[in-house]
Amino acid sequence: MQRRITRILAATAVLGLSLTAACGGGGSGSSGAQDAAKSARGPITVWYSNNEQEVAWGKSMVSAWNAAHPDQVVTGQEIPAGKSSEEVIGAAITAGTAPCLVFNTAPSAVGQFQRQGGLVDLSTFPDGAAYVTERSGDLAKQYQSAEGGYYQMPWKSNPVMIFYNKDLFKKAGLDADNPQLATYDQFLEAARKIKSSGAAKYAINPAPTSEFYQTQFDFMPLYSAESGGKSIVTDGKATFNDPAGLAVANFWKTIYGEGLAGKETIQGDAFASKTAAMAIVGPWAIAVYKGKVNWGAVPVPTSTGMPIGDIHTFSDAKNVGLFTACQNQGTAWDVLKFATSAEQDSALLTQTGQMPLRKDLSTTYADYFTKNPSYKEFGDLAARTVEVPSGPKTVEILQTLRDAYTRSVISGQGDVTTSLNEAAAKVDSLAGSR
Amino acid sequence: MSRPRTRGPAVLRAVVLGIGALAFLFPFYYMIIGSLQREPDQTVAGAFPHPGNLTFANYVTIDSRIDLLRSVINSGIFTAGVIIGTVVFGTLAGYALAVLQWRGRGAVFALALLVQVVPFQLLIIPLYVLIARSYGLADNYLGMILPFAISSTAVIIFRQYFLQLPQAMFEAARIDGASELQLLTKIALPLVRPALVTVVLVTFIGPWNEFLWPFLITKRADLQPLAVSLANYLTNVANSTANPFGALLAGAVVLVVPVVVLFVVFQRQFVSSDLSSGVKG
Amino acid sequence: MTTSTTVPVAAVTPSPREPGSRGARRPLTNLLGYVFSAPYLVFIAVVFAYPLGFAVYMSFHDYFFTAPGVSVERPFVGLANYTDALTDPAVRQSFVNVAVFLVINVPLTVALSLVLATLLDRVVHAKAFLRVSFYLPYLTSSVAVVGVWLFLFNGGGIVNRVLGPLAPDPTWLINEHLAMPSIALFVTWKQLGFYILLYLAALQNVARDLYEAAATDGASRWQSFVNVTIPSLRPATVLVLILSIITGANLFTEPYLLTGGGGPNGASRSPVLVMYQQGIEQGQPGYAAAIGVLLVIGTLVLSYLSNRFAGGDNT
Repeated sequence: MQRRITRILAATAVLGLSLTAACGGGGSGSSGAQDAAKSARGPITVWYSNNEQEVAWGKSMVSAWNAAHPDQVVTGQEIPAGKSSEEVIGAAITAGTAPCLVFNTAPSAVGQFQRQGGLVDLSTFPDGAAYVTERSGDLAKQYQSAEGGYYQMPWKSNPVMIFYNKDLFKKAGLDADNPQLATYDQFLEAARKIKSSGAAKYAINPAPTSEFYQTQFDFMPLYSAESGGKSIVTDGKATFNDPAGLAVANFWKTIYGEGLAGKETIQGDAFASKTAAMAIVGPWAIAVYKGKVNWGAVPVPTSTGMPIGDIHTFSDAKNVGLFTACQNQGTAWDVLKFATSAEQDSALLTQTGQMPLRKDLSTTYADYFTKNPSYKEFGDLAARTVEVPSGPKTVEILQTLRDAYTRSVISGQGDVTTSLNEAAAKVDSLAGSR
Repeated sequence: MSRPRTRGPAVLRAVVLGIGALAFLFPFYYMIIGSLQREPDQTVAGAFPHPGNLTFANYVTIDSRIDLLRSVINSGIFTAGVIIGTVVFGTLAGYALAVLQWRGRGAVFALALLVQVVPFQLLIIPLYVLIARSYGLADNYLGMILPFAISSTAVIIFRQYFLQLPQAMFEAARIDGASELQLLTKIALPLVRPALVTVVLVTFIGPWNEFLWPFLITKRADLQPLAVSLANYLTNVANSTANPFGALLAGAVVLVVPVVVLFVVFQRQFVSSDLSSGVKG
Repeated sequence: MTTSTTVPVAAVTPSPREPGSRGARRPLTNLLGYVFSAPYLVFIAVVFAYPLGFAVYMSFHDYFFTAPGVSVERPFVGLANYTDALTDPAVRQSFVNVAVFLVINVPLTVALSLVLATLLDRVVHAKAFLRVSFYLPYLTSSVAVVGVWLFLFNGGGIVNRVLGPLAPDPTWLINEHLAMPSIALFVTWKQLGFYILLYLAALQNVARDLYEAAATDGASRWQSFVNVTIPSLRPATVLVLILSIITGANLFTEPYLLTGGGGPNGASRSPVLVMYQQGIEQGQPGYAAAIGVLLVIGTLVLSYLSNRFAGGDNT
């Protein structure tokens, strides 16, 4: 047996040595081929998100295009898997099997996809940059790459707010029509009442888990508001450990410390199941909770209780990427413009409730907002959204912050300030390198 | 054993095994109960079926979102491909390692052992690039099957069984002019039928339950095996249903049932002594 | 390929007979040996050796995956990935976590499967039923059973309700000190059936006359268990040890699904989970590969040591 183990070890060594030689890079796609693809037309494949409302929009958009362009047929399908769709796209880029367009590219993943050489810079189309800025106005800036290109088409945002359950608020003896939730103190007082009255198990229940993206749904929205619209990283320096960031972290720490939010993952939707009386959600929630929860919406709280007109929030945007693996990029670009036209944006807004990243959203679709007053505030907020930091290190930055946050805020271990400072130092070196 | 039989130890044994079986079966029982609940009931009383709280709705929801039949067929093709590859190539290699004499045999066997130590996560991206980019096998049953097509475990099991067969038998047949392939298929294989059953059953579990690989390699919903479509369902859809726990557990039951049925049907052949030659004391 | 498949059954088994002498006495069988094992060798080269070699290569570079035809700089960085990994607190913690896991899981697995297999071996009634119950968790995919465990062990779950005031706070999976032990228990439960199967197989080969001799000497059941059964099962025990070490080192699905990405406070983050985060989520496959190589080396060393010390003289 021992001889056998020795043999195994030897085999490992040999394998390691002999095979490194065989591992060169490969591939022959040249820039010439990319230029040819840019104007090529023909059938293409697109992916859209897999929630019910977006699937419906995606299907009707594709059939509308196909009816008018029988020679350039678009095949649409749902993105495989939810949480991990970025991994699937990343792997598909590496293998050269990515579809032409993905109508659900998370901005946090774009930096890596770009570095992988997986995304087409839309500004290399003759009308590319003009189209993007014409449609999205100033909002487009947050989605520009460091060199000024557009590796994503800013598509739609889900500016997040606080949803509250009116029935549970009444049960807790709170004013359900005009709840006092603007300042941290008011918010905490309401939360304590919900808990002590037994109206709900938790006042609010953001996911307490360690996945990097969860930062976007507890810390970031409140930080965007508290800091007056700052990103968590500005000019290669972490900002989340500034006084605004510490105020937000300590606010959440109080929430967790007093058991006003759960530290345990809840299967399913805590807000829908009435386990929690409040939730941090975007406008997608209006369609989802229709008929299930008697809800109201308020902006996220700040320490001073800013008026809604000054509130910034996290965008939770999903954009569209055009991938280099696409053979018929000419068609893909046309489809992209078709899918983001005023007409299709209107369909998207009506069917999904999500906000197209257009300048002057509330005036362009004024009719819609008059008819659906519940969307009005989201529409206003859509003009003041904050995005995750750009670049290839976004995920690592978010994970670093998340680890510090789960430790010091959710588990309540150690000092919040020290913990955030340590994370900031690490993020500085990450954001600074490359 | 010539020991006088006493009742005490037998009762103790029955008690210990009974408690053990309970600990092993209870979660499965609870899975079924939970999948049939209209509202998740986490109280102790909830562990018993309650007529007012029973429903098949969780199963109906799954069927409406996933093409269950299509997924089961995909799982079947994936699993069958893996089993065929494992048996055909596994017997060949096992036979070569046990019966034939050639240089490098020891090294090959060492390699088969080494394969078990390396985590799949370490290999998965290079493998994905290779199969999807170099071989163009993404969105294809072949690409799904390939990484599992031969199991080192099967090679080792077959080798072990073939080693038990008397070498003289092969010599005799060789003198009669039988080819090695005939020796393998006509003489050796029929004698190791238990190994065959063991390998088929053990192999079945792998691809049937495998999630990560088919998830990466197939992006077309109509090619996804059951484990992948269920996982997709659980991460995306189940959360928005009225009873997410019920939906989750119903999905689990759908995935478990075929394995259990197969195992119960074949368990007579899957007796413990099948592996006895493998783990000789 | 994955841990859900099985076993180098023969790994610790002394071959009954090393077949034949070396050399090319029979050129034809020599050739046939290569022909018969060629598909397997090609397979190993393609789906195992190539990716493994590639992973080792990556671990010495600042590697990055790109679309076909795109070239980025992937500088050779020597041992930098390895030194980074060894000094990274998250990586260190993950290795400590997996050590905690092994300390709980391995002895429990060996003891429980040995006892249950011995009892099961002597059972006359309901043998099939018991066997199926013990194998059931092993046959089932983690994705399926994790759901039930969450249902059982969450804060308001049935386990805590039964325990009443004894229920831990914070509850099992979000308790820093209980998260890893809970996962270790889960995995023990999940894999036990397979190890019982291994021991049952080995028990068939324990010479019956040894028991008879022990009985003649007036040994009690317990004494014959200790003096006959346990020593006779030593090769199987080594196999169970090594396999459970390998399973533990490759731990990924359970912390990923049970504790929402390795919480609380990283207390259930396993090395493979860190590899997944670094390599796949954060785009640093070189760093992830270095962690993987360290993990493989650690597993080989542990397996070697278990064999050396538990194996004794008779292997």
